[in-house]
Amino acid sequence: MKQNTMLAMILAGGRGSRLHDLTNKVAKPAVSYGGKYRIVDFPLSNCANSGIDIVGVLTQYESVLLNSYVAAGRRWGLDAKESGVFVLPPREKADANLDVYRGTADAISQNIDFIDTYSPEYLLVLSGDHIYKMNYAKMLAEHKANNADATIAVIGVPMKEASRFGIMNTDEEGRILDFEEKPEHPKSNLASMGIYIFNWKALRKMLVADMKDPDSKHDFGKDIIPHLLSEDKRLFAYKFKGYWKDVGTIDSLWEANMDLLDTNNELDLNDPTWKIYTEDVTTLPHYIGANAQIKRAFITQGCVIEGEVRNSVLFTGAEVGEGAKVIDSVLMPGVKVEAGAVVTRALVADSVKIGKEAVVGCADSEHIELVAKRVKGVE
Amino acid sequence: MSKALGIVNFSGNNIWVKGLEEYRPIGAFSFLGRYRVIDFPISNMSNSGIERIQVYIRRKPRSLIEHLGTGRHYNINSKRGRLHILFSESRDENNIYNTDIAAFSENMECIERSHSPYVVIAPGYMVYSANFDTLLQNHIESDADITLLYHAIDNAKESCLNCNTVNLNRQKGVLSLEPNRGNAKNRNIFMDTYIMKKELFISLIKKAKSLSSMYTLADIVNNACEELDVRGISHRGFFAAITDLQSFYDANLSLIDLKTATSLFDNENWPIYTRTNDSCPTQYFETADVKNSVVSNGCLIEGSIEHSVIGRGCVIKKGAVVRNSIVLPGTYISEDTTVDCQVVDKNVKIIHAKEIISDSQKPGYIRREDTL
Repeated sequence: MKQNTMLAMILAGGRGSRLHDLTNKVAKPAVSYGGKYRIVDFPLSNCANSGIDIVGVLTQYESVLLNSYVAAGRRWGLDAKESGVFVLPPREKADANLDVYRGTADAISQNIDFIDTYSPEYLLVLSGDHIYKMNYAKMLAEHKANNADATIAVIGVPMKEASRFGIMNTDEEGRILDFEEKPEHPKSNLASMGIYIFNWKALRKMLVADMKDPDSKHDFGKDIIPHLLSEDKRLFAYKFKGYWKDVGTIDSLWEANMDLLDTNNELDLNDPTWKIYTEDVTTLPHYIGANAQIKRAFITQGCVIEGEVRNSVLFTGAEVGEGAKVIDSVLMPGVKVEAGAVVTRALVADSVKIGKEAVVGCADSEHIELVAKRVKGVE
Repeated sequence: MSKALGIVNFSGNNIWVKGLEEYRPIGAFSFLGRYRVIDFPISNMSNSGIERIQVYIRRKPRSLIEHLGTGRHYNINSKRGRLHILFSESRDENNIYNTDIAAFSENMECIERSHSPYVVIAPGYMVYSANFDTLLQNHIESDADITLLYHAIDNAKESCLNCNTVNLNRQKGVLSLEPNRGNAKNRNIFMDTYIMKKELFISLIKKAKSLSSMYTLADIVNNACEELDVRGISHRGFFAAITDLQSFYDANLSLIDLKTATSLFDNENWPIYTRTNDSCPTQYFETADVKNSVVSNGCLIEGSIEHSVIGRGCVIKKGAVVRNSIVLPGTYISEDTTVDCQVVDKNVKIIHAKEIISDSQKPGYIRREDTL
């Protein structure tokens, strides 16, 4: 099984407060996506498919569900000998107080002892809340070929949106000249994807120093990367082509789901060579009734459809009753749309019931309506 | 943990499913899109707290072994429990020698080594849910030697023709087992499910061997009805014996009805486990038109589907019509092709043929991996 000497750490502590009620009880990486997945399935499956054996998941905000979810490493095949998924919430240590993770770099610093037990040559740092498929082994190969101190994955974004991202300016060889966080006048359109490969020994030294620095925010983007650049270290950009989405808001989460309805969509979850693994739920295949109508939809096991579904994504166990209509919407796991109800341009949260003949959402709304509470029907 | 050892038995020489069985034993048949037939007996055992399960295989083991794996997906305790796959050496000189009794005696030491005082034997070729724990309690309390499970049907002239029937006296005592000859409407179909003490099971195997090399477990139990206290318990809920292509076809289609399906599946209390394939959800395109069907994950659907069961990862192109059919995983049906009343085996490509139509009373079969 031993394939490479890179250990992965997934930063999964974020709350994702702009997802409102969806992240009241779970952290953003645990939010459902694409019918049967959770967002964190993507980095975890990417690790498994890239031949990474040890994955640490750094959790903090509302971590109970996320902890138990990722701890079952076998879902992603990460359960062979010398392989595993390790949940790493902040913990009390003999020589330090119990402290929350103060920043992305601090989350790694506080787990130096964990990483040391595997003494990897390289450390891969990932974000737990992005949707994409990526072969980290290819990125590592480039990192090695460049003899780099650090490699940062970047993706081309439309120039007019570039000021929303951390932008890398590189030379022709891909060496990073400077890095600007959300620049007003971006010089390039290469946005950091928050995916880093470091040489562990060198990073370790820096992190130890960073922990003691009172002026540091202990953040990779704000402190570690600028510091490396100031020391003239060899930082390279790894250009990624393909689907990548950071779903920060209800609108963008809805949109990322809608992307799956396109013919030959870029994410291609059906690719047998790069499957995304997830929890295995025991349900029937989906049932489609005699009067159902389904056009442009993404539907998974356990769903029961008696009504109309158009331009929508239905998650595990969602039900659409007789005469009900679900249009341009996302129904999270266990949602029940009762007979005659109409759901338009809405994202309905887990297990919410839309009562008989209730009307939710609106076809020309600016934003997507988030339905997080039961909607009473007509009795 | 149950007091019983679970045994999943294979089908005898009285049963042959044309086409499908050429490639795999009935237990490995794809069922209702995402299941295999053997998921039902094993899930029944697992849900009943039976954690040591032996699965007997007589021929073509590949797809069954692949599906069963370590048995982890059946929710069996990974330390105390065990899914044990046992083979019997097939005797080529004549199929009559390849009986379940022969397989049991070949693996006798595995049966003897088991610590469980009872055995529950269930067929790997019938689809039903039953709580074996309750049945075992009943069996122990009744003081009977053997308890058999049967299902009363009222269409025995046309169906279950390859099954045995149970002849009962008024006290539910079993008088005999005999083949269903199709000469009466109402019959108690034997579900090839037995509960007895392990010691009795072992002695029956030995006795059968000494009487005739052709004897099956059903034969020796039939013989024993005179001397032993053999009782029948009636099963309620969904029951299907997969004994020929028609019964496979009918069983799948009948479960398209959600009400019928709920008499077999109870996700909350009695889950039926299967191996996940990590397929993504199914994508329906603008031109799709699907009614009255059961569809598995990983499909790309542009065409029409009516009254059919679609397995994992099938592609139904624009203008294609699939009607009254059971489509096994990985099948590709090209543009403007009509498929009616067919059992389409795995990984078939229908490209050149534009119309494949049979009758629901005699469904057609399309060979595995075939290109038409």
